[in-house]
Amino acid sequence: MTDTVRAGRRKFFDLARPSRQHLLGYILIAPAVLMVAAIIVWPLILAIDLSFQQVKIPRLGGASRPFSLSNYTWLFSSEEFWLACWVTLKLVVVVTAGSVAVGLSTALLANNRFRGRTVARLGMALPWAVPEIIAVVIFAWMFDTSFGLFGWLAIQLGFSDQMIPWVSSSTAAFWAVAITMVWKGFPFVSIMCLAGLQSIPSDYYAAAKVDGASVFQRFRWITMPLLMPVLGVTLVLTLLWVFRDFSIIKVLTGGGPLRSTQTLSIMTYDQAFQYHNFGRAAAVGVLTLVICIIASLLMLGRRSKSIY
Amino acid sequence: MRRTFAQSLALYATVIFTLLMILFPVYWLLVTALSTTDELYRLPPTFWPADPQWDIFARVWAAKPILMWLWNSMLAAVGSVALSMLVSVSAGYALSRYSMRGGATMGLFVLTAKMLPATLLVIPLFSIFSSFGLIGSLWTLVLAHSTMIIPFATWMLKGYFDTIPKELEQAAMVDGCSPIGAMVRVVLPIATPGLAATALYAFVLSWADYAYARTFLVNSPDNWTANLGITTMQGEYVTYWNDISAASVFIALPIIAIYLFLERYLVGGLTAGAEK
Repeated sequence: MTDTVRAGRRKFFDLARPSRQHLLGYILIAPAVLMVAAIIVWPLILAIDLSFQQVKIPRLGGASRPFSLSNYTWLFSSEEFWLACWVTLKLVVVVTAGSVAVGLSTALLANNRFRGRTVARLGMALPWAVPEIIAVVIFAWMFDTSFGLFGWLAIQLGFSDQMIPWVSSSTAAFWAVAITMVWKGFPFVSIMCLAGLQSIPSDYYAAAKVDGASVFQRFRWITMPLLMPVLGVTLVLTLLWVFRDFSIIKVLTGGGPLRSTQTLSIMTYDQAFQYHNFGRAAAVGVLTLVICIIASLLMLGRRSKSIY
Repeated sequence: MRRTFAQSLALYATVIFTLLMILFPVYWLLVTALSTTDELYRLPPTFWPADPQWDIFARVWAAKPILMWLWNSMLAAVGSVALSMLVSVSAGYALSRYSMRGGATMGLFVLTAKMLPATLLVIPLFSIFSSFGLIGSLWTLVLAHSTMIIPFATWMLKGYFDTIPKELEQAAMVDGCSPIGAMVRVVLPIATPGLAATALYAFVLSWADYAYARTFLVNSPDNWTANLGITTMQGEYVTYWNDISAASVFIALPIIAIYLFLERYLVGGLTAGAEK
């Protein structure tokens, strides 16, 4: 009875019908696909296209220049590009290692049971909530060449007999950037590792203790293996962040002095918006993307799905 | 696990020392804002100003259009979060509930989008926006920030929807709900914490942006966001560190407040992807 009533009222376009279910899925996903096509895929195709044209400032709809590899040949033969690769590599290694070291230790510390733990945990990851630009304001003043706290501390502790020229010395500028980035980057590692640590059942530790495993052994044979998946993903995400970061370096040193802090990201941006070489800039950017993809696939291998 | 007194002491000492080291820069920002210019340009540095200049906050608030900058940041963030959530919620739901051709490709795409450097995307976006005459408008940020938000939000929401049993909608549909009705009236209310976490995280992402704001809005001071505004206070020759620090406090405060009060949601969002 009900069935016939329903059939009688069956709408022409009834999405509840099993055969139409698929259609509904596509309808629901369509807006996102269209948006992504318009604001990510199309621009990305334009950028790749741009990287193969000798073009200064592109106009949409303007006649496109003939296909040319000149941007890439210029890149591979320019010292600037290789220097940027080297700086990026150094920064990625230093900042990722620093963030993981500090992040993992703070996570292990906050994983202990003690009074005030919630507050301590919030405090330890607080830099995560400080916007990058504000972090730069803080550190730029602490690294100030004449009255900065860090220069003064270095003198007091006997590391240096004068204020450190954070701005004009290549090495000092690099470390200024690295320290700022570690302060901003380690809380993410800490948050992720702490979540990972808390998902390890405490029985494992109890059992290991009964078997007489020392603190170090418990860390080595229980914590590390079980934390590895989370740590691996976190490491890659941190690495990608350093690779692509723009604001910290741009505002702190502008890539200088003498390009000693110019990463591939900064080079991409400056080629486009400082020297108005959009074609070259697109080429650097495309290569950066390719390097990012290859690096993370190599590091995660089959597990790369987990960083979605 | 029982600890001896000495062990407890060591633990608390380590925790407090670590906290001091980590939070010192934030403390220093406050001290810098409250110090007089004389105290700033003097060594050894002043660790707590003799006469804290609390009125610096009112002075900077009056001297710089900080409220306008914050408002612009807010508009850009709310706009991009709203736009992204609108398309991401239904896309995440579709990916979770319907097996579609290309689902795996979507995953790969999200992965690539996560790696896309803003410095690369900003180049074509700049030419697109300038040919539509959008440069200088906050709409550029709404769209540009959506490029960061949509891929991750879609994937994160798919993860949340996956945790909600399908039987709930099936029951609703048996009771006469349409598929859309089941999604809107049954699934979305249950997924509210997930939606909030995603939106909150997206908001923080948008608020943090500097690259896009700098590129698209630098010549329109009326539309400057907080991050862009603050960098213009950094002078080429002289920077008034107490002023810029006080302004920084205003700009950092909203996100720090979100973090302190809604940390659980934010962390849920951060770790959602990694714990598989």
